[in-house]
Amino acid sequence: MDEWKPNPAVKPHKKRSWYLAWKYKLMNQRALRKLCQTGAVLFLLVTVIVNIKLILDTRRAAYEEEEESAQDYDDEMLNVEVPRHPINNKKVLDVEVYSSRSKVYVAVDGTTVLEDEAREQGRGIHVIVLNQATGHVMAKRVFDTYSPHEDEAMVLFLNMVARGRILIFTIKDEGSFHLKETAKNVLKSLGSQVAPFLSWRDMWTFVGKKGGEVYGEKHAKSPALSTWGDPVLLKTEVHLTSVEDAECHWPDTELNRRRKRFCSKVEGYGSVCSCKDPTPIEFNPDPLKDNKVFDVPVAVIAGNRPNYLYRMLRSLLSAQGVNPQMITVFIDGYYEEPMDVVELFGLSGIQHTPISIKNARVSQHYKASLTATFNLFPDAKFAVVLEEDLDISVDFFSFLSQSIHLLEEDESLYCISAWNDQGYEHTAEDPSLLYRVETMPGLGWVLRKSLYKDELEPKWPTPEKLWDWDMWMRMPEQRKGRECIIPDISRSYHFGIVGLNMNGYFHEAYFKKHKFNTVPNVQLKNVESLRKDNYETEIHRLLGEAEVLDHNKNPCEDSFVPDTEGKVYVMFIRMEQEADFTTWTQLAKCLHIWDLDVRGNHKGLWRLFRKKNHFLVVGVPASPYSSKKPSSVTPIYMEPPAKEEGAVAVPAVAAAEQT
Amino acid sequence: MQKINRNVVLALLSLTSLVFLLFQLCYYKFYLSQKNGAAFFKARGSQSGQDSTRWHVVRKFLGLISSHNIPVYLIDPLILGLVDKDIEHIRSSPDGPSPECKYFCAPRDFTTFALLDKTWKHEVGLFRTAEKMGFQWLKIINKDPRLDGMDDLSGMEIPLHYIFKLASHAIHLVVFYERSGNFLWHGPLRLKQHMDRKFVPFRKLHFGRYPGAYEKPELLLVSIDDLKVQIPKNPSSFLEEMSHSRFLECRYREARAFIQLYPDDASLDAVEFRKKAKSLLHLAALTLNNLGVKFWLSSGTCLGWYRQCNVIPHSKDVDLGIFIRDYKADIIPAFQRAGLLLKHKFGKVEDSLELSFQGEDDVKLDIFFFYEEDDHIWNGGTQAKSGKKFKYLFPKFTLCWTEFVDLKVRVPCETLQYVEANYGPEWKVPVKMWDWKSSPSNVQDNGVWPVDEWDDVIQIY
Repeated sequence: MDEWKPNPAVKPHKKRSWYLAWKYKLMNQRALRKLCQTGAVLFLLVTVIVNIKLILDTRRAAYEEEEESAQDYDDEMLNVEVPRHPINNKKVLDVEVYSSRSKVYVAVDGTTVLEDEAREQGRGIHVIVLNQATGHVMAKRVFDTYSPHEDEAMVLFLNMVARGRILIFTIKDEGSFHLKETAKNVLKSLGSQVAPFLSWRDMWTFVGKKGGEVYGEKHAKSPALSTWGDPVLLKTEVHLTSVEDAECHWPDTELNRRRKRFCSKVEGYGSVCSCKDPTPIEFNPDPLKDNKVFDVPVAVIAGNRPNYLYRMLRSLLSAQGVNPQMITVFIDGYYEEPMDVVELFGLSGIQHTPISIKNARVSQHYKASLTATFNLFPDAKFAVVLEEDLDISVDFFSFLSQSIHLLEEDESLYCISAWNDQGYEHTAEDPSLLYRVETMPGLGWVLRKSLYKDELEPKWPTPEKLWDWDMWMRMPEQRKGRECIIPDISRSYHFGIVGLNMNGYFHEAYFKKHKFNTVPNVQLKNVESLRKDNYETEIHRLLGEAEVLDHNKNPCEDSFVPDTEGKVYVMFIRMEQEADFTTWTQLAKCLHIWDLDVRGNHKGLWRLFRKKNHFLVVGVPASPYSSKKPSSVTPIYMEPPAKEEGAVAVPAVAAAEQT
Repeated sequence: MQKINRNVVLALLSLTSLVFLLFQLCYYKFYLSQKNGAAFFKARGSQSGQDSTRWHVVRKFLGLISSHNIPVYLIDPLILGLVDKDIEHIRSSPDGPSPECKYFCAPRDFTTFALLDKTWKHEVGLFRTAEKMGFQWLKIINKDPRLDGMDDLSGMEIPLHYIFKLASHAIHLVVFYERSGNFLWHGPLRLKQHMDRKFVPFRKLHFGRYPGAYEKPELLLVSIDDLKVQIPKNPSSFLEEMSHSRFLECRYREARAFIQLYPDDASLDAVEFRKKAKSLLHLAALTLNNLGVKFWLSSGTCLGWYRQCNVIPHSKDVDLGIFIRDYKADIIPAFQRAGLLLKHKFGKVEDSLELSFQGEDDVKLDIFFFYEEDDHIWNGGTQAKSGKKFKYLFPKFTLCWTEFVDLKVRVPCETLQYVEANYGPEWKVPVKMWDWKSSPSNVQDNGVWPVDEWDDVIQIY
């Protein structure tokens, strides 16, 4: 500072500003000026330093706080969740559809959504439904229209698809043989030019919007009866609409949000997704008075049959006394659509990675489901076990509520089942009547926790043993002579026709005519008489009251039982020892009831109804009730027909389906 | 030139200083707004405004909860601690109006409530109402541990914690689940990556650092600070329970890997043994819990839990550990009343005590007493025929809860060190031939009992 010495001798400059003038004026007071300057510089320096420090400090503090608040609480696992379907802003989809004798495929934007080149499979018309806003596959079906009635199913399906959806059709092998007028007209109404003229072994692909434009169609005619049309490949573009246009405008409620989520993902569930008056997804059935099974968990065992599951859950949630919070659906495999159905109804679902094959897989799935059920509801003493292909009676829970105390108190009981194997339209009559049987019918039943935890779970068949869980449960080592309680009229109905051991013919023969209770609030009769000793008294009373039928007549004939109502009749058949069911099987066959193995017996006694009369069948001499046989009566013996090839194989397969 | 230099320097300095000043102002404003708005105001001294905010937030929350019929109960350790001091008074006058806000105004960042999962339906309506009332909320979900032990089941994730924030106070709602050992469990609080780490100061939460296990509490409806709220009937025992509630989940994934490597013995004998061992363990737990004696799974039973989440079928006995300071003379008669006969008693309370009871059939219940030293813990062994003493050394450990064969039992929290001390680094390999005198890797010779004491320290029945 000392070097700076202004020269007072210098003449004031002409342009000297007021500032300089002021400065020079000050200069005269040197000491003061110097002090001020130094002070200012110092002050400035300090400010700068303090500022820098403050900034650094707050930075660090903020950073530490962030670190601090989160440490320990971080999820150890890296979040690897990536959105499954990247949001696609593209407005146009490239669609490729191929139809030929041995192979079909559909690719959307380069992703194959259908590919079928398996031999002897997938014949007919393949249909794919895409969401018009997102391009997601909402449904995939194949209708074997070479065979009868499949075209009806296709019409039914197409009618259920919402307007505006994109439909893709392609034929594999043959799809016209049983494609009737109605179906052809439906295809025509979708905009197909070719459909009305589709004929034997033609190849055909079609892409269109339901109730709207056609995006493309290709067809190759079969030149001769013995040859197929040339493969066709259709490449086309589909314009996507906005999400708003693709959705219905339901009022914004929690239920409708679930509905919306569901309806934007899948197709083929009919009115649940209609914009006007959609069918309800909450049912609020009447509560049960004094419901003893309100807190009993319900395990629904499911596979990949989402339409079945949908039907099943509807009936379950409509049953009086149902408690949705106790329901868990166990899905065997990572299937999305069944899970969508579960979420639609607001239930909880659990998926199970398949670990084994076929029967053993079902069996492992059962075990995992049962264990999980008791883990999730540690307080439960029982669990209700249901399958996805059952309708549930409106009084299912009422039936269980009235009988469950027996399972708790009577050690000689194995289960309570809603299913009567012999309860057909013509053999079941009384909704208030219960039986004790030595067989385990399954199909909607109650399992005691102690039985599962102490006996079944530890020795459940391991995956390498390809056993059916229900066959295993019926084995004497497991059942140990215990019995199940069943109703005369079943509280469940088995509607599944696509199953592991199931086919249409089999279902028609053994399940279709099964009686199913539709009466609400049935008051069960004399439940206490189902206890072990009481039941014997009851049977003896019945036998005492029963009228012995004329054993000279043919028991298969209708006239065997008189045309009365409400009476009790008894007949005696030959049964040499406990396991001799020769005559019974023949009788069951001609009565058109379950004859594939022995079901519904209690100490050599069967109870059913014929012509509205209670009809008792006693096996003599094996049954302890043989003493009731008048000495004049000779037990009826029926000869089994000569063994046919394959006659043995059928029961083995069929019996397994009773799961 | 010099003149200009000086002026320039001065101008520059003042400019920088101005800029800094401005910057500082801005930054401070930003900092303040953040503190006030999103994060918490760190009130050192209690201002009455802050106090009543807490009370108001709690009141609003209780209103929200009761409008949806959700039964919650108070588990806040701070408030329960205050309540506990006046518990007699509160119990006796459940409806009395309180002259001052004594509990809910106490300075704190959170108020913690508990919710039993099975008592409510997971409804979205609650959160909408909460939002309307001005709450911001955060939901922490995670895997359901009750399915973790299962072969490849994947359920929906379950809610473990909720945080409702209003103004400067937050409500921490801990969801309790019933588990198979007839106890309540709450999950750990773990933030997923996308979550707001500054939503609340998570470190200050009283629950969530670890999962916890609790008995089902008896509840009491009380009115404190003019708010009706459910609290555990005995707050002090709840607080005591809370202090050592840490829960360890069994290592199901590792157990599955182990079973893959060494398939489980599914023979009838193994099934039978497991059943007997399970019922013996249940009986032992019942007996010891009734006496109020803390115990944990030790030796082979602990190894079975740690390695395969099950009883080792070839182990032939059930092993428990008890700290010698928890020893009670009643233990032997209590077990005898429960139908378990004393098989042998080695050592004495001062040294190497070990009891052995005969359970049903061949299953033996061994109880080892553990002695704490400064840097290790040990238990003793005695060879009956020679009077030789052995000592088994363990590194220090604390106790955690776990679930084992449908039972809530303790295990050493530092299980790996415990198991490794006992079985060496090769504990993962099953060994069927085990000699307790030489096989353990932590065994030491500990001399011989003087012959004149034998009658006392070696009792075989």
